[in-house]
Amino acid sequence: MEISSPEKPLSAAESLERRVAELTILYEVSRALQKLSDEEKALYTILVGVTHGRGLGFNRAFILLVDSKEEWLEGRLAIGPSSAEEASGIWHDLREKHQTLGELLNLLVESDIKKDLRVNGIVSQFRIPLSDGGNPLLKIMRSREACLAVNGTFEPHGFAVDPVLPSLLGVSSFAAAPLYLADEDLGLLLADNAITQAPIDLPNLRLLQIYAQEASEAIQNIRLYRALMEKIALCERVNQTLRENQYYLLQAERLSTIGKMATLLAHEIRTPLVSIGGFARRMLRTTPPDDPRKEEMDIIVSEVSRLERLVNEVLGYSKLVKPEYKPTDVNSLVRSVLLIMQDEIEKHSVRAVLNLDPSLPSAEADESQLRQALLNLVTNSIEAMPSGGVLSITTSLDREYFEIGVCDTGLGITQEHLGKLFTPFFTTKVTGTGLGLTVVSHVADNHNGSLRFDSMPNQGTSFHMRLALHPDVASATRTPPRAASTREVTS
Amino acid sequence: MSTILVVDDDKNLRRLYQAELEAEGYRVILAEDGKQAVKLAASESLDLIVMDIRMPEMDGLEAMARLLQDRVGLPIILNSAYSYFQENFLAWAAEAYIIKSADLSPLKEKIRAALRAQPPDQLLSRNS
Repeated sequence: MEISSPEKPLSAAESLERRVAELTILYEVSRALQKLSDEEKALYTILVGVTHGRGLGFNRAFILLVDSKEEWLEGRLAIGPSSAEEASGIWHDLREKHQTLGELLNLLVESDIKKDLRVNGIVSQFRIPLSDGGNPLLKIMRSREACLAVNGTFEPHGFAVDPVLPSLLGVSSFAAAPLYLADEDLGLLLADNAITQAPIDLPNLRLLQIYAQEASEAIQNIRLYRALMEKIALCERVNQTLRENQYYLLQAERLSTIGKMATLLAHEIRTPLVSIGGFARRMLRTTPPDDPRKEEMDIIVSEVSRLERLVNEVLGYSKLVKPEYKPTDVNSLVRSVLLIMQDEIEKHSVRAVLNLDPSLPSAEADESQLRQALLNLVTNSIEAMPSGGVLSITTSLDREYFEIGVCDTGLGITQEHLGKLFTPFFTTKVTGTGLGLTVVSHVADNHNGSLRFDSMPNQGTSFHMRLALHPDVASATRTPPRAASTREVTS
Repeated sequence: MSTILVVDDDKNLRRLYQAELEAEGYRVILAEDGKQAVKLAASESLDLIVMDIRMPEMDGLEAMARLLQDRVGLPIILNSAYSYFQENFLAWAAEAYIIKSADLSPLKEKIRAALRAQPPDQLLSRNS
């Protein structure tokens, strides 16, 4: 191994002194680094330690780091004078101030970074893609061992020095120490003596390597700290959002309680209002037009009406109960009903046949009402076939209407029962509410449609719901329930 | 003379409905809740029922279901301070649904219309 300055044997005292100095540098720098949370300041502190006379004593130092996306090894920061004159000025100042490394580093922690222009111009030109496996700097970083560029070769590795490096740095001899953690290559620390041209000796290189390890940990600590701070900031933001949401929730709960109370109160008020207003109207009717109390009764009647309107508004009675029309895929609704009824169909040995018109467009329908109607019809059909049979469901399109047919091969409806089919609570079943067809017929009404059926005793029954694709919302507003006698029935 | 059973848990309203409906020429019987209504319907000959919904003992919807199982086709007008029972399938079995108001003319109109209507059996036999 050829090194520009061969190691001179040191006396025991010199050796001890040197060790103490090395430990002092490491101690001072790591103490300063512990106070920092800013990565650039930490890098600067590391570089100061490399170049300070009471530190490692190099003239200049450069830090190259792997970027956060792990694509490049990039020059990040450098320190060092541009010329011999600048150097002697700086070094003179430092001697005058008699600052220890610790004092200087303490000052750095407090103050802003002064960037040396020339060296930072140099360092910014380092940008090596990590994919470039043959690059000697990358090879050094990955070797995790410090080396010295001298006479065109990196010693002790033996890689040839890319001629670009000496021309970029302006020196032929420089030291390179990898920055790394157990499982991650962080970058490289470069140092040279460009001003004094002093040779770099092996103990110096070893110290740079140890120092680089200290620096690596400092960089990692700062990154971890920063990541932690980001997490904390995130937690704080989440907390803040939670607090805000909690506030809104409480607000909403409070409003809903007020709403509930208002509804309760409105209902409670309605009954006495009917009494007051109702009796006032009665008295008014029996009061002669010239009675002076007539005007006062008028006031009672009109004020009660006003209060009733107010109560209606509070309770939202101005809006009539309407079906909720939404675009509905009728064919898939039919399939879903069949799926719900699958167990029943199998239990009764019924065979289900579907004949669905694939060209059926999406219909404006109240899906839950339509599903209920279909369920009722399918249930009736299945129950009409106690010893099995065929249940067939068809859909078809007829201009602005669609039709759903539910047919069975069951018992049929007897003449005696025919007239009572839609009568609420009329039922021939042991279990059953007798509301099934009442509901179907209401659903047909709600969709501007109609319901018709055919039945032959012992041959079967078929129901056909004919519903508007786009029920006119205005005219389909649910009419008050009508008596069975007014249903449209054809048989 | 048609007989109307008025079911309401409010004493003042019972009195109001009785006075107003008797003035229209109906015979009026009163019940305080659904349970009483079901009991009365068994012994009285009724043409129509005006039924409140929210009542103690038995509510109007349950009473209506019981009454209609025995007396298929009996017109029942639901008369409630609440509108949301309209969404209940049970309420769809009623002849009409009215929200209580000091103006009794809509109720009277529904009663007249229901009593005018012929029994379902007659209508259907004419149609078929």
